[in-house]
This record gives sequence, structure tokens and C-alpha cells, in this order.
Amino acid sequence: MALDPLRLQDEKPPRAAAPGKKWVRVTKAVNGIDTEVWEEVADDAGGPQWAPRESMRLVSREVPRVDGPEKVTGRAVFTHDVRLPGMVYARVLRSRVPAAKVTLDLEPARKIQGVLAAVSLVDGDIDGEVRWLGRPIAAVAATTPELAEDGVRAIVAKYAELGFAVTEARAAADNAPKVNNRGNVIALSKNTDTKEVDEALAGSPVRVKGTWKIPVQHHASLESHGIVVDYRGGEEATVYASTQGTFTIPGDAAGRLGLKPNQVTAVVEHMGGGFGSKFGMGIEGEAACLLAKELQRPVHLLLDRASEFHAAGNRSGGEHELEAGVSPNGKIVAFKARVTRHGGVGRGSGHPLPYIYARDNAVFVEERCIHTNMDSSRAMRGPGHPQASFSMEGLMDECAYAVGMDLLEFRRINLPENKRELYMRQLEKCAELIGWRAHPHKNRPDLSDAEAKVGIGFAIARWGGGGNGQCKVEVRIAQDGSVEVLSGTQDLGTGTRTYCTTIVAEELGLELGQVRARIGRSSFGAANASGGSTTSPSLAPSVKHAAHNARLALFEKVAPLLGAKASELEVRPGEIRVSASPSRRIAWKDACASLGPNGLSAQGEWQAHLASSDIGGAQAAKVRVDTLTGEVKVLEMVAVQDCGLVLNLLAARSQLQGGMVQSLSYGLFEERVVDPDLGLFLNANFEDYKIAGAQDIPAMKAVFEDDPRGVIGMSEAAIIPGHSAIANAIHNACGVRLREMPLTADKILMGLAARKKG
Amino acid sequence: MKNFEFIAPRTLDSVVELLPGPRDQKTRDRVKLLAGGQDLLGELKEYLVSPEQVINLKTVPGLEAFVARDGGYSIGALVTLSALEESASLRASHAMIAESAGAVGSVQIRNQGTLGGNLCQRPRCWYYRHEHAVCIKKGGSECYAYGGLNKYNAILGGGPSYIVHPSDLAPALVAAGASVTLKGKKGERTLELERFFTLPSEGAVTRENVLAPDEVLTRVDVPAMAGWKSTYVKFRERSSYDFALAAVALALRMEGDKIAEARLVLGGVAPIPWRCDKAEKALVGRKIDADTCKRAGELALEGAEPLAHNAYKVPLAQGLVTKALRKLAGA
Repeated sequence: MALDPLRLQDEKPPRAAAPGKKWVRVTKAVNGIDTEVWEEVADDAGGPQWAPRESMRLVSREVPRVDGPEKVTGRAVFTHDVRLPGMVYARVLRSRVPAAKVTLDLEPARKIQGVLAAVSLVDGDIDGEVRWLGRPIAAVAATTPELAEDGVRAIVAKYAELGFAVTEARAAADNAPKVNNRGNVIALSKNTDTKEVDEALAGSPVRVKGTWKIPVQHHASLESHGIVVDYRGGEEATVYASTQGTFTIPGDAAGRLGLKPNQVTAVVEHMGGGFGSKFGMGIEGEAACLLAKELQRPVHLLLDRASEFHAAGNRSGGEHELEAGVSPNGKIVAFKARVTRHGGVGRGSGHPLPYIYARDNAVFVEERCIHTNMDSSRAMRGPGHPQASFSMEGLMDECAYAVGMDLLEFRRINLPENKRELYMRQLEKCAELIGWRAHPHKNRPDLSDAEAKVGIGFAIARWGGGGNGQCKVEVRIAQDGSVEVLSGTQDLGTGTRTYCTTIVAEELGLELGQVRARIGRSSFGAANASGGSTTSPSLAPSVKHAAHNARLALFEKVAPLLGAKASELEVRPGEIRVSASPSRRIAWKDACASLGPNGLSAQGEWQAHLASSDIGGAQAAKVRVDTLTGEVKVLEMVAVQDCGLVLNLLAARSQLQGGMVQSLSYGLFEERVVDPDLGLFLNANFEDYKIAGAQDIPAMKAVFEDDPRGVIGMSEAAIIPGHSAIANAIHNACGVRLREMPLTADKILMGLAARKKG
Repeated sequence: MKNFEFIAPRTLDSVVELLPGPRDQKTRDRVKLLAGGQDLLGELKEYLVSPEQVINLKTVPGLEAFVARDGGYSIGALVTLSALEESASLRASHAMIAESAGAVGSVQIRNQGTLGGNLCQRPRCWYYRHEHAVCIKKGGSECYAYGGLNKYNAILGGGPSYIVHPSDLAPALVAAGASVTLKGKKGERTLELERFFTLPSEGAVTRENVLAPDEVLTRVDVPAMAGWKSTYVKFRERSSYDFALAAVALALRMEGDKIAEARLVLGGVAPIPWRCDKAEKALVGRKIDADTCKRAGELALEGAEPLAHNAYKVPLAQGLVTKALRKLAGA
């Protein structure tokens, strides 16, 4: 069965749009699971419009982030840095057994001087039954973090072991201990009829088959998960959280504290990375609330690094068994995949195969997941896509080599028609930037005796990146001319605070320093959680709308002063004037002075026409493989990306480069290591769980295409193709095809040795 | 963390007085010596040791002396890795030592880490480092790496423990023929550094060296190597900071274009710095060419017995031997 031409989701809008309305595809992230749904919105083309790009002073320019100085000088207060009067510190005890019935004796902890409270985290629903390694089972609060740790270690935990499987191989084996009562291997697809694809494969002159293995990656956010619960009794609480969703906190926290959601304020002033792992407050958040409720004192609970690795989510791993049949002219006529997701006690993200290519002939995909007694995977930057990209782009290269075609030409033939122009334009640009034309061995590896071999590889990405209508933004203009933009949204480090400022300053003709963004507080206007690259396309149009409304409201006030109608006014840097008669003008300060002591306030909501969705990107990597040591040095990476209106060129480029770095690290280094017999996580630290450092980073070029559309979220697309391009480049360099990440020297050396043997 | 007494003695004698008796193996970890702390702090925080006393060596005068003498050096235990890395004189006379110091960890670690600490550091094996894996190194009955996940473990000299010695300096100093001085309750003793390290099959399996419970490593003496040239080549998975997957310390004395004398010591492949006697002998009298590199690599790795996940270390170490020889051929 052929698939539809590529769409964000393979379904059409539910019905025709009502008059004055239109359907848009929006991305929603609920508890970190990104889903794309159709939403009917007002077809409001008459509202605010983005100005022509060349006319903008601040938006779409290179603007250093407004909170940069605070962050680099350490003045920025992250959740970890919050210190409150009477605050106590908490730590959690993790289950050291992957599956067990746990009984706890908390008394020894409580006896330690300085330990103020100890609570069980396995009462209630799970009734002492732990199903994954490292699950927090108790928490202790004390006057210092060290005493809390002592308390945790003093707890006597008795484990009645239930038998465990911490690796997929063990979990799928006959007589494996049951991870849960649903079964360890779960079929996720209904269609099991392979007749069509098998016939198409049988009729293909060239067939390529392989199994790709993808390890579990960790988010490795520099700020670990955690919250500070400021509850001192009474009917109000403030919860400081390192979260991607300010508004995911109050309800949960209120439940645990016995308060109403509107009695809890969440604060997310700055946060140190989430990448999809920080929605809701988690077990650690519940623990902090329990302790705060008991003690009626502020509780600080941030996970230590080992707990962060064990119990704060991960990117699901997997195994992809792929087979393709290729016609002599380079068309993939049959694609068959068996996808196994490794998501621990969770199901893992869907790995969308076939990824972009090979959709219009016989396609069969069977998906299943294998459960293990490990922490559930969570969403992670581009959930499922980097996994799918790795095997798909590898398969594409293998097919191209098998039929002796140029790697780009083979891709062109197998791209969906409606995306062919976009991706070929981007791939050709990547090729130009990385020196593909002059590359001496395009459709074969370097077979010379050279010790150091250079190779180039390509890969592409797609993402939705649309917005949705959850944001409420307020812009306030004070009598003294100062301006504030308020929204409850959180800045994950992507530059949200900065574009809130630039959009308003642009609209009102102000300099950056004249506008202050106040965000990260649930008492401000609602905002969506930051998942699925939905923040910018949801928030930026809402900010624009609020600024637009503030400008119109101000025009109404000053129009009489200029003897004109509000509709005849325009903003110029530092002033408001009558468009047709520029000498009739009023300076910003004077205009605001007319507002009176209450100033002015305007609201904004999402404007679908200011956002868009559906993006594509291509990346290429150039690597040098040392055939003596197996060392892979990535020399250069390039990325070409479309993303509608770029809000801040500096931040966007930084984000694209960050994606390249994170995917390089995924490709070359990152892998969770668990001992199947002992049931121990062996590398839950930053020594053995290796992440790329400065010396591992190549020269990078990040290029944005001119894209006339509105704002689109781009972050996820940036991380999808890099490692795939690197794997392809390694093969192009030395002829070793690595179908298993990370792409480390040991695998290359063993691959080279196997090639030598023939 | 168990509270401990932090003691800052003023003399070496008082350090030694505080240490347990020379045969007091069972309780030796009740007292730990603190130099740069780069290993000890990790061991404390990971609950691998819970001492009652921590003795700060930094208050003891004299241990940071770094003295050039007759072409050689006397290097105090507290000399930092940065000082070794940055010594132009050492780099000129014993390049492999300066290079190996510069290959340790990160800048921050090298600024803190010391010579003595680097030589006495405990293994990095992830089973050893996991509090809940009571392996043979920690008094248990089994080396979990042997039948487990042993990508980073030993291919030479293993059994019953299969750790690799983590020091970068050790192979270079052994290749330089360095000696080490230990001070104990009964006085000082000096021995070849090569004799300081012990295989798990020879010495106590829970230790990596002959340091007795009452002893402190006070200095390393490096003899002159006039007429020699040397290099240290380390392979790490992550360039930014990483322990060696394999490393080579190589020193050659050339006569014309032929090798007159050679020292070849491998790191990252065995529980001790692995001296390659056979390869050293075979190098003598040969020019550095492809055949010599190949032969030296083969002899150096002779007897290697890879485990399930570390067979790659054989070609890797052989490749590094070639790289080191070629580097010196061009030097």
C-alpha cells in the first residue's frame, strides 16, 4: 500500500471549514507527547501583519539575548539557585532493584539530627511494587543537602525481588520475568498482511536489507529536574520549577498540597534545559510537595545527576529491520520495516518509517515495543525522528551504492513529489557548502591505501512546528513610557524572552532596553507548554497581537493631541506621527505621559495567519576516519533549513548549531549502558555517559532559507539528520557501514578488520 | 557521608605517624591521603571509601618540589600535572612525560591533580565505580567485567581482576626508567616505578601497587635520557576529556637511522603499565619503516586475550605503536 504524499499526519481535516474559519494543523504537546491535530481558527487576514522583513529593525535581525549578561555572570536565578527563609533540602532514595515489592523503614532516617521529615513514595497506587530501576521510593528533608543524603542512606529498604529484565534481549526471551501485566512484547500495528510488499520485493532486481540498532539517549539537561515548593501552611503556595510547562505545575502541586490550583503560583524564571523531559512535576515534584506539606516549610528538591539519569526520562532506543527493493532506474518499489521501540516501562516514541522517502510504492511497516524494567522514555527533541532518520538515511545510501547511483540523485528519485523541490534545493546547497562536487569519491568509499580517509554524507529532516491558540499575552505601557510584555510562558534557553521584547519594541518603535519581558509565572497569561517546537509559533503571534492592540490603543489616546484620527497615525522610532503629515508628531515619552497614572494595557491572542507550519531541513557532514585507530573526526557540518519568519537570526542560528552538536553527540558518543545480569545502570554519570565537548565540535555552517511564511518552530528539525549524515560520511570515507550507534572507534576498527578478511 | 576528621600535618613524619601499621591491610582505608583530590573526592562522593581520617598533604612542605638534576628530575608527589605539562625543560628532555601529563582529563583536573595522586589513583572500571557492584576489587568474589560489559577493560595481564590502570603518567614514567620513593614508619624505600605496580594475579587483588598501609609516595626520580627522544600517544573516545582506550609511551635512542635502544610501554590495556620487552628488543638495530611498525605492534600485543567486547583494543594499540614510531621517525 502506498502512503499519501507526505503530510504532518496522514489524515485530512475533519470537515469543510465554517464560513470565516479555516483549518490549520497545530502541534500540541501533552505531557511531552507531541501530537499534531487539526484546529479550526478564525481566518483573520485583516489583523496584524508581520512587516516586510527588510523594513524590520529588530525582529529577524541578530539580537543578543536580553538575559545573556544575567546568565553569564551567574545573576540569573534558576530553580536550583532559589534560596528561601527556613528552606530545607530534600533528596530521594532510588530503588536499587529493577522490580521488587519494597518495604521501607524510615525511622533510622528520622533519628538523624538535622533530618526533619522522611516520606514513602511507594504507598498508594503502586502499593510498594516497583517496576523500574531507580524509581524514587522515599524522600528525606533536612537542614542541609548532605544531611538529607545521609537520611536517604539510613532508610532501610527491603526488596522482595520479582525478577527483572533490564535489556530488550532479556525481556523478549522465553520465560522472561513479566515487566508488567500487559506483556513484555506489544504489537502496535494491526496490519500484518505482507503479501503486497513481499511480492514487490521478490520482483525487485536489487534488494537491500539490514538491521539498525539505536541506543537509549539521555536528555542530559545541565539543570536537573526538580522544584522548590514554598509552602508555609495557609492557603497559598509558590512553586519554583525547572519545567517546560509553567502551567503544568499548579494543578499537580495543588493536588499534593491539598490546595486549589488557583492557590498555587508556578515560577520558571530561568531553566537549564529540558529537551522534552520536563513536563509536569514528576515523582520528585510530588515528593517535594509531600515534604512541604508535612513541614510547612519551603522544600528544595533537585535531582542529583545519578537520579537524573535513572529517573528523569530518556530518548527511546530501538531496532529497525528494514528491507528495500530497488528498480534498475533507482526507484524504491518496495519498503518493508519491522520497528521495535525500546521505551522501558513506557512504549517509546513512534519511529516514523519510512522516513520522508519511499512512500509511494509498496510499503509495509510493522511496529512493536519491548518493555523492560527501566525508566519510561519521554519525549526528546524531535521524538522518534532522529531514530527513523538514522536507519532510513543509511538504507538510502546503501541502496544508492547498490545500484551505483549518485547519492543525491537517488534521493531525488525517491523523495515524495510534493517535497522534492524543497529537499533537493536544500541538499544541493549543502553539497555546495561542503564541497561535494570536488569530492573525489562520490559513489564509492575511498579504497586507496591512505591511512586517513575523508567522506561526506547527507540526511534530511521534517517537522511540523506549528502553533496553537493557548497563549494570552498582555502588553502594558506606563505613563513614564516604559513597556512590559507579560506572559506565563517559559524560556527553555531558546530565546523566548528576547523575542517577546523585540516584537514589542519593533511594533512600538522602541529600543530593546525600553521593553521588559516578564515571563515564567502562572499568574501571567496562559501559555502552552514548550514541546514539539510549538512555543514560538504560538507565542510570537500572540505577542505581536498584544503589541498591535497596545499600539492601536495608544493611537486612540494621542490622536486628539495630534488633531488626527487614530487610523491616520504611524509609529516611527521614538515617536508617533501622522503618516500623511510627518511634521505632526509626538515623542514617545510625551505620548505616554498623556496616559495618566494607570497607563495602558492591551491583550493579545494567537493569530493563525502570523504562524505557519511544516518545515524541512538538510544537513551534510564531512568526516575524517583514521583507519589505524578508528578515530572519527567530524571536520565540518552544514545545515540548510527553512523555518518561516526567523524571529532572531542569532538565536536561530545558535539553535540550529545546537541541534547539530546534539546530534553529533548522539551519533558519536551517547549510549545508556545497563548490566543485564546485575540490573545496574553502569554509566549514570558524565564520565561514562559521554557527551561531545568543545574539542569534538566541527566547523559548522547554519543557513536559513528565505521563507515568506509566518513563524514556525524549528528546534526539533535541527537535531534530526546530523548523526545520520555522519554515519553515511563514515561509510563514504572508509567503506564501513555502521548500523549501530554510537559510531565509535571500536566498531570502525572491527568493521575494517572484517573488510580486510573479505 | 560519614563524618571524618580532617588533619593538616606540618611534617612528613607526622603524616606517617597517622597512617595505620605496615600490615594493617584490612583497616587501611580508614585513613586516606588527600593530594589534589581528583580521585579521592569522587571515591568519597560515590561511597567507595568512607574514611575516619583524611590527611591533607598540601600542608606538608617539600612535596611540591620539582628539581632538575644532571639531566634528570626529582619530582615531588604534589607537583601538579599542569606543572609537568608546562615544563619546557621536561618537554625537551622527556617529551613523553610532559605529553602524558597534558593528556590527563581536562585543564581543571590537571591544575588540581598531582603526580602522586595520578600514580595512586584507583581504577575507572564502571563496575568498580558502582557502589552496588561489590566486585573483586572491592572485596567481592567476582570480576563482573570479565563476563559483563568489558569494552574498556584489560586485554593483557587480566585475571582475576580485569581493570586497566587509568594513569597516563605511569606508562611514560615507566618507559623513562623512573623510580619512586615511599616513606613508611620504618623509613624510606626507593624502587623502580615498574616494580611499584602489581598485577591482580601477583599482588593484593584489591590494590594496584605495593604501597603499604603505612606508606606515602613522596617523589619520583626520572633519570637523564640524553640522546633519547620520546612521545606519548593516547587514544580517547571523546577528545575533550577521556581516559585512554589505549596509549603508547615510546622512547628511542637512535644511531643514525637505526634504533639503538627502545622502551615501549602500553597504557589502557592492562592492570599495570604494560612493558613490551620483546618489542623493545626486536626494535633494536632496525630502521623505522612499515615493516618495523607492524612487527613492533604484533610483538607488543603478543599474548593479548581480548574479552567479549574489547577485541578492538588489539588493532587500536598496534595502530598507536605505529603512530608513535612514525612520530619519532619524523622528530
